Amino acid sequence: MRVTLKVSRFDPAKDRQPYLQEFVVEVGEKQTVLDALLHAWEVDPTLSFRRSCRSAICGSCAVSINGRPALACQTLVGSAVAEGGVITLEPLPHFRRLKDLVVDLEPFFASLQAVLPWVVTREDHDGLMDPEVARKLEGPATCILCGVCDAAIEVAGEVKPAALVKGLRLALDPRDALGAARLQLMKVPPEILRLFVRELTQKCPKGIKIAFGEGES
Amino acid sequence: MLMHEVLVVGGGLAGLMAALKAAEKADVAVLSKVYPTRSHSGAAQGGFNAALGEDDSIEAHIFDTVKGGDYLGDQDAIEVLCSEGPEVIMELERMGVPWTRTPEGKVAQRSLGGAGFPRACFAADFSGHVVLHTLYEQVLRRRVKIYPEWYLIDLLVEGGQVAGVLAYDFPRGRLEVIRTKVVVLATGGCGRAFAKTTNAHANTGDGMAIAYRAGAILSDMEFVQFHPTTLYGTNILISEAARGEGGYLRNAYGERFMAHYAPQKMELAPRDVVSRAIFKEIKEGRGVAGRYVHLDLTHLGEAKIAERLPQVRDLAMRYAGVDPAREPVPIEPAQHYSMGGVRTDVWGMTNLPGLLAAGEVANVSVHGANRLGGNSLLETVVFGRRAGWKAAELARQEPWPSLTSSTLKRALATWDALLDAGGEEGQGRNGDSAFAIRREMTTLMTEQVGVFRTGSELEDAVRKLAQLRDRYQRLKPPGGSRPFNYALMDYLEVGYLLDLCEIIAKGALRRTESRGAHYRLDYPRRDDQNWLCHTFVRRGEKGPEFSNGPVKITRYAPQERGY
Repeated sequence: MRVTLKVSRFDPAKDRQPYLQEFVVEVGEKQTVLDALLHAWEVDPTLSFRRSCRSAICGSCAVSINGRPALACQTLVGSAVAEGGVITLEPLPHFRRLKDLVVDLEPFFASLQAVLPWVVTREDHDGLMDPEVARKLEGPATCILCGVCDAAIEVAGEVKPAALVKGLRLALDPRDALGAARLQLMKVPPEILRLFVRELTQKCPKGIKIAFGEGES
Repeated sequence: MLMHEVLVVGGGLAGLMAALKAAEKADVAVLSKVYPTRSHSGAAQGGFNAALGEDDSIEAHIFDTVKGGDYLGDQDAIEVLCSEGPEVIMELERMGVPWTRTPEGKVAQRSLGGAGFPRACFAADFSGHVVLHTLYEQVLRRRVKIYPEWYLIDLLVEGGQVAGVLAYDFPRGRLEVIRTKVVVLATGGCGRAFAKTTNAHANTGDGMAIAYRAGAILSDMEFVQFHPTTLYGTNILISEAARGEGGYLRNAYGERFMAHYAPQKMELAPRDVVSRAIFKEIKEGRGVAGRYVHLDLTHLGEAKIAERLPQVRDLAMRYAGVDPAREPVPIEPAQHYSMGGVRTDVWGMTNLPGLLAAGEVANVSVHGANRLGGNSLLETVVFGRRAGWKAAELARQEPWPSLTSSTLKRALATWDALLDAGGEEGQGRNGDSAFAIRREMTTLMTEQVGVFRTGSELEDAVRKLAQLRDRYQRLKPPGGSRPFNYALMDYLEVGYLLDLCEIIAKGALRRTESRGAHYRLDYPRRDDQNWLCHTFVRRGEKGPEFSNGPVKITRYAPQERGY
């Protein structure tokens, strides 16, 4: 199908403000927005956007697609075309733009530090883990650090969404010595965390489910 | 000028493991083309082989690996790989890897191809991903300096010794010099040499080509693995775990055709055997719609698929529109892994003093002519760890190598000459482009240097690759000083890939036998008399110079390989 991509362009070295550049590309509806972008790139090789795995596991190609943060490689063209066959692509909101669709990821990766983002292994850990407990780690451990949650979810407080996911994943880990102190590191009241976890499943490209506060009132 | 005692290039599993180990005793930095968590190690699904089971043994793991590699692997290196497997899995466990567990709480293991036991430690079908993120956590804990989205451009070699690197700061569009005592290459493979590949856009063999240009020996590059089960059309990986969990392969008649090719192992024969079987089925008219075969998981049931293969299900649904719990998945083989790479010893040391390599970029060689599923993830952590130890030891023992201004000037002049070459920016004559050259090169490799090879097609491929190189040399590269200049990246990558394609095609032409993943229709038998040897290649004045190297055989004399 023939699709019009409107891609937000901005080069700080020469542009005073961003503008939308139009590309008309031929792609299958089962192809992805990333495929469409790669066609556009061949038309204008100065276009900058990140990509790598093209199978929704590396997290590179998170952009705003028709105003919604998502992975370009995970979004099918057919589902993204709005009225008139147009797809509008912009950089992730709440991130500083460096060029075109490329945003500054340094603050994003630095934000993880707030939750001490590693397992502090207990001295007495014997290498075993209950399989049911292990299953609870799986959801948050599929986080690909793409940044979509930071762009799409507002959480009051200084700890950002992706860091909360990491913090919650570590809090569920029986190997970790910090235990309950993990929740204090996140500096967010439990009721807000519960709301966050619910919204996360809706907005995360991996649909991450976290077993937090289940069975609590 | 930046200085680090040890510079690890590549932020995937091998690179991060090397950095962690080196950081215990030396000043280390990681330079990576993508942010470390974006590395292609994260796409690995199946698992890490280690003989942990009570019935399994290191001995059995060694033998399966030797046989799987069609006796081309070096048995001393394989012994290291398999012996250190169990302890490295437990080290990862203590670091916090969220493995799937057995009812007793142990690390769960599944069967993958060519293995005599369920040997692959896994986390659902996100095994590479969870270990990559766990190692990244540890790198943050150790506060290892990371240069994300920096590209290795050149190795600075002074009197035969690596003394630093020329690096390109992609976000700022600037060239930088980093002085080092030791460089550990962990840049992964070169899957993007092929049109049909499971590999990420970033996997363009940069490290292999740069090391080769600097004088390092590459070995066994003609051995390219084609993964049997990739989604038809997009070639997105569907893990061997799908067959490990009990999946079947069926042709157009619904027949489990592997019964004709590997009656004992069936779908869990090694990948080279399965990929050839699939193409043979298609070629002889038993392909579905004449083009692909089916991976049938429907009998596994929805619960097992949800528990063990959630990513496989998601990928098939999203990219093929097929729910594997209800319908069979259309699949075809595609390039997946490079058995060859920069020749190293069991400590990652190459023939260039100061240059180490580990992971897919390296050839130790543990995979021989065909890698078994679950052995590459193991290789990254076992040999990444060893390279890290060795790098730290060298950093403590060795003085800072001298780096003279003439060496620096020579490297900078090469870079400048590269950027000043050719005609119109980003274009060659008659509107030629790096895009066009890449497309023709990768199609050529898939069609003529793929699963089935013949002398005449390989000769033709070598000729066409030379023409592509001529065209490439007439392109003008797109300006080097602009930030996030992906066109420049593309231009550089095509140059690396052209070097490697030439080596792969010429190596395949030279090797007049069939062994593991290298299959010659005109020489369909393994020839131990003449070809039980590694292929070594060095850069000569007029292109690659090939020679044969000995294979280390300790315990297992070559036998006929049957499955």
